[in-house]
Amino acid sequence: MRKHGLKAALAVILSLGLLVSLGAQKSEPVFIGVSGPLTGGNAQYGLAWKKGFDLALDEINAAGGIKGRQLQYIFTDTQNDPKQTVATAQKYIADKRIVLATGDFSSTSSKAASAIYQRAGLVQFGFNNSAPDFTNGGDFIWSNSPSQSNEAPAHAAYVRDLGLKKVAVFSLNTDWGKVTGDLTVAALKKYGVEVVLREAYLPDEKDFKPIITKAKSEGVDGIILVSYVNDASLLVQQIRGQGITVPIVSNGSQATADFPKLAGAAAEGVYVAGDFTADDPRPEVVQFVKKWQAKYPGQDIDYFAVHAYDSLKLAATIIAKAAESDPSISRKAVRDAFVQVRDVPSVIYGKIAAFNPQTRRVDEFLGARIVIKDGKEVAWTGK
Amino acid sequence: MSSTLALWLGQTINGLVLGNIYALLAAGLALVFGVAGLVNFAHGSVYMAGSYAGWVAVSILGWPLWAALPAAAAVGALLGLCLERFAVRPFQKSAHVASLLATIGAGMIIDNLAEAIFSPNPKSFPPILPTWRLSLGLVSIGGLDLVILGVSILCAISLFALLKYTRAGRALRASSQDSEAARQMGVRVNRMNAAAFALASALGALAGVLIGLYYNLLLPTIGFQAGLKGFTACVLGGLGNIPAAMAGGLLLGLGESYGVAIFGASARNLVAYALLLAALFLRPNGVFGGKARSQREALTGSFIPQGKAVRIHPAFGCALVLVAIVLPLAVKSDYLTQVLAGAWISALFALSLTLVGGTGGIMSLGQAGLMAIGAYASGLLAVKAGWSFLPSFLASGFFAAAIGSLLAFPALRLKGHYISIATLGIGEIVNQLILNWESLTQGAMGLSGIPAPRLFGVDFSQIGSFYYLSLAVLVIGALAITAVQASPLGRTARAIREDESAARSLGVDARRYKALIFGIGAFFAGLAGSLTAYLYTYISYETFGSSLSILGLTMAILGGLGNVWGAILGAVILSGLPEILRFAAEYRSLVYGLILLLVLRFRPQGLLGSE
Repeated sequence: MRKHGLKAALAVILSLGLLVSLGAQKSEPVFIGVSGPLTGGNAQYGLAWKKGFDLALDEINAAGGIKGRQLQYIFTDTQNDPKQTVATAQKYIADKRIVLATGDFSSTSSKAASAIYQRAGLVQFGFNNSAPDFTNGGDFIWSNSPSQSNEAPAHAAYVRDLGLKKVAVFSLNTDWGKVTGDLTVAALKKYGVEVVLREAYLPDEKDFKPIITKAKSEGVDGIILVSYVNDASLLVQQIRGQGITVPIVSNGSQATADFPKLAGAAAEGVYVAGDFTADDPRPEVVQFVKKWQAKYPGQDIDYFAVHAYDSLKLAATIIAKAAESDPSISRKAVRDAFVQVRDVPSVIYGKIAAFNPQTRRVDEFLGARIVIKDGKEVAWTGK
Repeated sequence: MSSTLALWLGQTINGLVLGNIYALLAAGLALVFGVAGLVNFAHGSVYMAGSYAGWVAVSILGWPLWAALPAAAAVGALLGLCLERFAVRPFQKSAHVASLLATIGAGMIIDNLAEAIFSPNPKSFPPILPTWRLSLGLVSIGGLDLVILGVSILCAISLFALLKYTRAGRALRASSQDSEAARQMGVRVNRMNAAAFALASALGALAGVLIGLYYNLLLPTIGFQAGLKGFTACVLGGLGNIPAAMAGGLLLGLGESYGVAIFGASARNLVAYALLLAALFLRPNGVFGGKARSQREALTGSFIPQGKAVRIHPAFGCALVLVAIVLPLAVKSDYLTQVLAGAWISALFALSLTLVGGTGGIMSLGQAGLMAIGAYASGLLAVKAGWSFLPSFLASGFFAAAIGSLLAFPALRLKGHYISIATLGIGEIVNQLILNWESLTQGAMGLSGIPAPRLFGVDFSQIGSFYYLSLAVLVIGALAITAVQASPLGRTARAIREDESAARSLGVDARRYKALIFGIGAFFAGLAGSLTAYLYTYISYETFGSSLSILGLTMAILGGLGNVWGAILGAVILSGLPEILRFAAEYRSLVYGLILLLVLRFRPQGLLGSE
């Protein structure tokens, strides 16, 4: 009798344990692997992403997460270094809890890891990667970033509509700067704007006076910047410091609160061909601003945080869709969900109808014409 | 005025304005060199620290500018005293290269601390400066330009007067000429050196505030470049002579501005480092420098104390190799395999440095440039010309050896820290050439899509198999370098390292032997570069920068200069460290700098002893 009792007890304990572990598996979080800069020269962008992610997670998990399971992200600091993105990719592939990985800050660092993600069958969602050839890495490489092939012509159109005819183009001599600069110059020429000077400057350049003097001697009526915030703030200060008053039209990277802060008075009146303004009257923007101010009172909203918010919500929608057809959320199911997802709301785009199955990008593009007034980004009213 | 003349005049003014800034940087470096005979590579970091000290005073404490300037100078002086005490004085009896390396380590520590304290996000000053400007044709100058000019002139005159006419100045000069004799005359040499460092660093910090205000974008990463530019100015003008060094600054500013005007904005550093090398090769005493001071520079090799190296029995060595072979099979972690595969490549790089530095006695601070040559040679042959792995891999070694030797040959007749500076310049120039020679290298786009190696029908695209490829190359390389060290070539090179004059008197052509050793080292550095290209499938001009050169040298020194097993041990330790210390990733270069300093100070022969 005793023996039977023992066996029965064991059986009960075992089955209880099985039930508990099944239940635990059911309530175990779903993980996204994030690859990005938290230290080093691009740290400000990774930190902006975190703000956007955390805001999105609050909403997603409050609404039940992914079919009852909490959504979480693991953020590995890669310093935007291609050597580290590769090691991080290895780590994420080996971690079976991760159902989706993100691309890194720059397209080049992300592309270095693409082959690894593609081969292992884990989606690399390069939400910040705007290089037109980023998604060429394979059918597991996707992006919802505005592509430079849309942003650059929008920048050039802004220049044209400001009435500028003869300009100098200063671009950052990095992979991003070259591609974007080339696309911008091509678009400017198409719109009938004459580019009399094109200069590609070194990433850590401090002294722009020689090229500014060149531009002045050419008699340009506008200076076009394809820059990141640090160099842009140096450029506008030195351009204005040299007594040059012609309009400056920058690319979208300057649509961040840091730019007027760093550049000071010189940022006043600078035009920015951006992707987003916080004072956009669209209802999704208004709602987002309210949520942001509730969680981060007094902090400025910048494009990178907004896009990170959008991207995490998009990823959650896709993962939930994958969970519908495959409760174990296999990585392949996640990839298939990218193909199948439809009509996702977006703060930046309004709505994403679907991913383009050929380019694995989104075709929507709104863009926002910004001008800096009193140290803040406001929408350009047309004069 | 015709427009070309107006443009030329405008660029000249731009050049002089920039040169003004370089002059201020050069002054502190020249002072230290003139008094202590040392290259202070932490000067750039002190300059950066000074800019932040000024920023804290103005932006956080709310002090007015006239109070912030002396405060920053005081911070600089303090840093200078620390530098002298910890990075210079302990190495007084050894060769000056030890101190040069120690100041590099100290600089890394200061840089990393600044980044940790102030964050990598840029800071700017509140608008406290008057905005009046004076228009001069196509350009304009402002109040701060004139202030900096004033400070430079004041600086040049007062330092010159101090050194020439005051008693303290004579004591400073005496201790630099002959410290033993000066001691006997009652001069407190240590005090003099400390004073020189304090003064020079105060000046550097002051420059930091002024230039920080000027550009109004403070970053913790500007130190190394600033120091390098300052040093270039010194070499151009004349190292031991403060007014000459400052004039060198003006020359550099002009050269860079004209270079940008003619060749485009990205050519700036190419022009600057070409000027550095030209000065080192053609006029080592600088354009304005006087006759050569007698070189009492101790030979580089003798900073390593004589002692027994730890002997690794060949059987034990084979056992270690076997462990390395079995490891990925026993511990199934792609992550670990990736890290170790990288460690084997670093070990090959460290081996090239230990050969050139240990056996050859040349502290190469630009060895990563040789890696870059090898990497691009392999990459371009593979991607553009469709070469298969083995021929492109071997070609990388030959390209690195040939081009590296060609660039370094004029430097080989230089002594001590001059040759190290030359190698630093070569490393920088290689990367600037890669960036600017777009038609060949694709410039800033970098080279991507390097195909996976295929050898004897085996595809090495997976990290598991690549691991064995890099391990095999390392083993072969280590055996080859051991053979070189044991050969007559190796013995002669060590003889030259120990006492070049004695070797010469025995009929040895020192320069040719040094060139041979350097070439062989360059060959292996090139191979390491090629493997890196195949491993990461993407390379750019940023992949093989000066920080990699210094890291490689640290690996070689940590293991023991000239010690083959030491280089491998050093590489494994320093490759594994960032992964182990992931939680302290922000402090990575601080740890490297600390290791370099501690090894140099307490165990200069390295963990396994130098050979």
